[in-house]
Order: sequence, then C-alpha cells, then structure tokens
Amino acid sequence: MILTGVLLAVFGLGLVGWFAARGRARLLYTGRGSMHSMPAYHGWHMALWILVPALIAWGVWSAIMPGLIESTVFANPVAASLPTDPMTLGAVVAEAHNLASDPSAVAFHAESQVLVEPIRAAQFRFGLIGALLVVVVAVAGGGYGFTRIRADFRARTQVERAVMALLLAASLMAVLTTFGIVGSLVFEAGLFFKDVSPIAFLTGTHWSPASTMGANINDNFGAVPLFWGTIYIGAIIAMIVAIPLGLMSAIYLTQYATSNVRKWLKPMLEILAGIPTVVYGYFAALTVAPMIRDFAASIGMQNPSTESALAAGLVMGVMIIPFVSSMADDALAAVPRAMSDGSLALGSTKSETIKKVLLPAALPGIVAGVMLAISRAIGETMIVVMAAGAAARLSANPFETMTTVTYQIVQMLTGDQEFNSPKTLSAFALGLVLFVVTLILNIVALRVVKRFREAYE
Amino acid sequence: MSKSDWNSPEALRRIARRNASERRFKMIGLGAIVLSLSFLALLLVIMLKNGVTGLDWSFLSGSDSTDATVAGVWGATKGSLLTMAVTLLLSFPMGVLAAIYLEEFAPRKRWIEWIEVSINNLAAVPSIIFGLLGLAVFINTMGMPRSSPLVGGLTLALMTMPVIVISGRNAIKAVPPSIREAAYGIGASKVQTTFHHVLPLALPGILTGTIIGMARALGETAPLLMIGMRAFVATPPDGLTSPSSVLPMQIFLWSDEIDKGFVQNTSAAIIVLLVFLLAMNGIAIYLRNKFEVRW
Repeated sequence: MILTGVLLAVFGLGLVGWFAARGRARLLYTGRGSMHSMPAYHGWHMALWILVPALIAWGVWSAIMPGLIESTVFANPVAASLPTDPMTLGAVVAEAHNLASDPSAVAFHAESQVLVEPIRAAQFRFGLIGALLVVVVAVAGGGYGFTRIRADFRARTQVERAVMALLLAASLMAVLTTFGIVGSLVFEAGLFFKDVSPIAFLTGTHWSPASTMGANINDNFGAVPLFWGTIYIGAIIAMIVAIPLGLMSAIYLTQYATSNVRKWLKPMLEILAGIPTVVYGYFAALTVAPMIRDFAASIGMQNPSTESALAAGLVMGVMIIPFVSSMADDALAAVPRAMSDGSLALGSTKSETIKKVLLPAALPGIVAGVMLAISRAIGETMIVVMAAGAAARLSANPFETMTTVTYQIVQMLTGDQEFNSPKTLSAFALGLVLFVVTLILNIVALRVVKRFREAYE
Repeated sequence: MSKSDWNSPEALRRIARRNASERRFKMIGLGAIVLSLSFLALLLVIMLKNGVTGLDWSFLSGSDSTDATVAGVWGATKGSLLTMAVTLLLSFPMGVLAAIYLEEFAPRKRWIEWIEVSINNLAAVPSIIFGLLGLAVFINTMGMPRSSPLVGGLTLALMTMPVIVISGRNAIKAVPPSIREAAYGIGASKVQTTFHHVLPLALPGILTGTIIGMARALGETAPLLMIGMRAFVATPPDGLTSPSSVLPMQIFLWSDEIDKGFVQNTSAAIIVLLVFLLAMNGIAIYLRNKFEVRW
C-alpha cells in the first residue's frame, strides 16, 4: 500500500523538480546566446534525475520485498505451528496474504489466522523502509540534477539522449514479443516432445488426445488429420471461394468501374474484412451450416451433420475476399501502363488485354497475395471453432465435420486445466507448427512481392 | 476473303463474338462484387431480423445470466472498455515511439532490419498465437489473474502494436522532407524537429491507423479464449484484475447456449458490437478526410 503511495509522491517530486530547475535556469538567462539549452530542458533534465533512479529503486524493492516478508514471517515463533507439507503450507500462506489485505476473505485453514498479524506487521515495516529508500533516492538524484544547472550546461543534449533511449526501448518491444512467442512455444512444445516423439506427432494419422487408454502415447497424438483439415478448409475450400471472387472484384474495380462507383464499392467491400470473426462464426453456424446440411441431404447423403468443412470454408472464403481483392489490386497497379497500352493499341479488347497481358504480368504479385491469404485463413480460429466440428478425420468429403489446428488448440486449452499433461501441452506444439508455417508463407510472399516490384521499376 | 475486308460477314461475326466476350467478362466482374456484397447484406439482415427486437434498455444495462430474458450486455461491454483502455494505453505510446525511431532515427544497420522484419511478421502472426503467448508468459510465468481485463489488454496490446507501428511509419513517411529541412534551417535539433513538427503533422494518419487497430482488437476473440476469458461472469467487472468477459466472448458463449432465447440475445449483442465497430471506423474515416493533408 505504502509503496503505491510513494509512487505518487515521486511523480509529485518530479513535477516540483521540473518547475524548480526551470525557474533556476531562467534566472541564469542574461541575453541571447547566454545559455546552451532552454530553461524547460533544464526542467526535464532535473525531472529525469528524480524519476529514473527512484523508479529503478522502486522496481528493485518491489521485487525483493515478498521474499523479505516471507523470511521474517517464518522467523516468527508462530510459524513453528504450521504444517510442514509444502502444498498445505503454500495454501495457508496464500490465504493469510489474502486475509491480510482483505479481512473479509474466506479462509479454509484455521492456521492462516495466526499468520495474518505477522504478515501485516512485516508488510508495514518493509513497505515503510522501501518508501523511505525510494524517497531518499529521488531526493539524492534531484539534488545532483539541481547542482548541474549552469548556463553552459548541455541539458538539451542529455534529455535528447534519454528520449533516444526511450525510442529504442519501444522498438525493441517488437523483437521482445517475437522472442517471447518463439521462446514460450518452443519451451512448452519441448515439454510435449519429451513425452511424444516429434515424428509420431508430425506423421501419425490418429488423433485422440483425450483417451488415456492405449499402451503407446505416441499413437494418440498423430496430427496429420488436423493438418489435412486445416489445409482442406483454409487453403482449398476457402480459396476456391476467395480467389475468383476477390480477383474478379479487383479487376472490375481497377479496370472497369468509374471512379464514382469505385468510391462506393471499395469501402463496402472492406466492411467484409472489418466484421469480427466471431460474427462470421455465428453466421456460419446459424445460417450457412443448416443450409449446407439440407443440401447434402437433398443430394442423398446419409445423416449429414450440421457442422461441416464446407460451411466453415465457405464463410472463411467470404471473409478473405477483401484481402485477396486488395492484394490483387496492388499487383495489377504495379504493372506498367505501357504494357496494357501496347496491347490495346494492337487492337485487343479490354478483356483480352486483362487476360493475356495484365494477369500474366501481375501473376507473381497475385500468387504472393494468395499465399498471404492462405496464411491468414489457416490461422483463423473462431469460424472453425463454431462451424467446423471436432472430429479429426482424413476425408475429402466437404460435407463431413473436420477439425483444424486452431480448433484443437482451443479445445486443449479450455476445459479442465492440468497444465503439464501432454494433452494441454500438445496445444503449444500445434501452435509452434502453425507459427512456423505462417511465418514461412509470409516471408516467401513478401520476398516474391519485393522481387516483383523491382522487376518493373 | 480479302485481308482488309472488315465488312465481310465472317469478320463481323468475329467482332461481335469478341464484343460479347468483353461484355461477359465485365458482367462476371460486377457479379463477383455483387455476390460478395449480397453475402454481407444477408449477414446483416439476418442479424437485424433476429436481434433487433431484443435490443431494449434492460438488455443494454444487464449482465450475463442463465436466463435468456434477463441476460444483458453491459457486463461484457464494460469488460471490453476496460480491456481496450489497457490495450490503448500500452500499444499507442509504444507503437508511436517505435514508428518514430524506425522512421527518423534508426541507423541503417543489420539489427535494425531485424526489428523491421519482426514487426512485419508480428502483424501477420495468427491472433491465437498471441493468446498462447499471453497464457504462457502473463498467466503461467508472471502469475497475473486469469480472465482479467489486465491480461486481456496486455495480450491485445502486443497484437495491436505492430499495426500501429506500420501505419505510423507510413504517416511519418508521408510528411515531406521540406518540413524537416525548414526546422533544421532555423536551428532545431533532430529530436525537436521530430516532436514539434513531424509528429503533429503525422498524427491524424497515426490516429486513423490506431483506431483501425483498436477496432480489430475489439472484435478479437481467439486470444482471449486462450487466457481464460470465457468464464460465466454475472456482474460487471469492477477493476482491471477482476474476472470479466468481453463483447465478442459474450457472443461466443451465448452462441453455444441451447435455449432458443439466446439466439435473439446473440444477434442483439452482435448488433451492439457492430455498432461500436462502425462508429470507430466512421471516426477513422472522418479523421482521415478532415485532417489528412495531401502534400
């Protein structure tokens, strides 16, 4: 509690320091060119000297304080009566901490009551020490900053250096996130591959992680049906819908539509991309799937299920249309005007020019766009969760239920949580596969696009 | 047939055939757009038809319930607002600062390319992967409370930041060099030039990109599913660490209910969500039209 309060005090001190240093710097001003930096920069310099060391001290103290409290509480004589079993002990201590911060909290262990008072006392004592430490550091930093205010002191240079450090730190966040993703996926997947052999995982054709039966655990984690379901729904059915519609939309918008028509149609098409995937999923489950089931029944399927690969793939394809369309749009726009002009001058009609000149010339760009679209489709989760079904099966029948990598990740991680079972960890292995595949698709596609742009420059 | 006889029946037939194929091609193009848009129209009409009767004050002010007639969206809306607040507070400053660094200050070195590559890739990583990251790092390693707006906001912030960086860089790139040179000419330092002149001019573009990124985060469900935001929460969250739901998650949870009344609720919640998204995109378009300067 005290530690949170002291943060406010530090920011208050920073504000005071800012004004004090600026005021003092103003007094030094004796005419044009008499000072290196403007007074406000002296203010910022001082404020940084107050805030940065104090915040570092605060961070360090908050990190070590729980350990200090723990050891003090255990040194207390009442701790001798506590159970020795580490599981119960942990529960008791956690309860006591809850009770200490909120007296009305529920406690299941009577022992936790005796710990409340020592914990409160220790929290108060170490909180106070920490708060004093932070304030002392802030005042010391501020004092040092204040003594440096001189007419020729390069406060601006110093402040700008701090700004640069901040900017760099913000950009490094992206790298940190990437490392975080790779690190956590590889780590958790590594735990999974300790139990299940990677080869069995990548080549096995039987997926039933829920069943603990069977002598060999490897037999239950064959992910090929999931990969097939993902490819069938995301890269085949969805693309059969999205490529023709997206490509033809792009051709019409860029080659035929007047600028007025384009101004209206293009944003409307982009609304399709802005609709949340959960809405598409609900639409697929509520409207599209029953329609497909009735259709399947009418062509003589026995007991067609409500959830089908076709429903999920179809809706996913519609979701991808604007994406394919805008990628094709870019690819067509990158083809030099002279090429289509030449074709038109030879007497070909517009559609002949598009089919025989524009499309072949734009093909690399369009292929790259399709690759990006596929990478988006196979990572899509909500539509398949709501419409594709849970049965892992290798089948080419679009009316059957099929499951995907993303569906299984959701399935493994929601429900009973026992974190270190192979069943839960398999989600991270699937996530790793998904991450690597989308990464490769993206890198290759971006490279193709770059090469293709350069070819026409 | 003489070579230049354009009036021979054969030549006329051929021209007619080519013209017909031209018209056919154009019609196919128009048809593709109309088909896509009619799908959109169908979706909207079905949601409106199912949901509009369920939109009343008790629905807008209530919270989740097992009874379809008293369930409402305020709890989930408040959860969404808290989550979005965390996302915005983190991803906007970070995204803008990173965009400034990469566009204005970064030396052309190998490790800078690494940053650029990782930002471009993060923008294309499936959202569910961010959920796995959030689960492994924020919940399992750092021990933050499950299904809280805090963890949801952090996860979505990591997902939104690359979008903001990319749009921010484009906006900063669009500010002409003459602005910078004028500032240097009267003695401004590089940092002063950037923060006093370039950033204000780029801000409308950055804000447009930010709103679009936030709209995407608002509609996102999959990563939140990973960090456990699917619990049944019957009271609006009263803080950043209390269990909460968000609007898209509420839609997902209701869509699973068997009770017929929830079909209406789900559609009504979808209407609420779409209204939010439409408003955000409208603001983005308005900002772009009002403040964007064509140099």
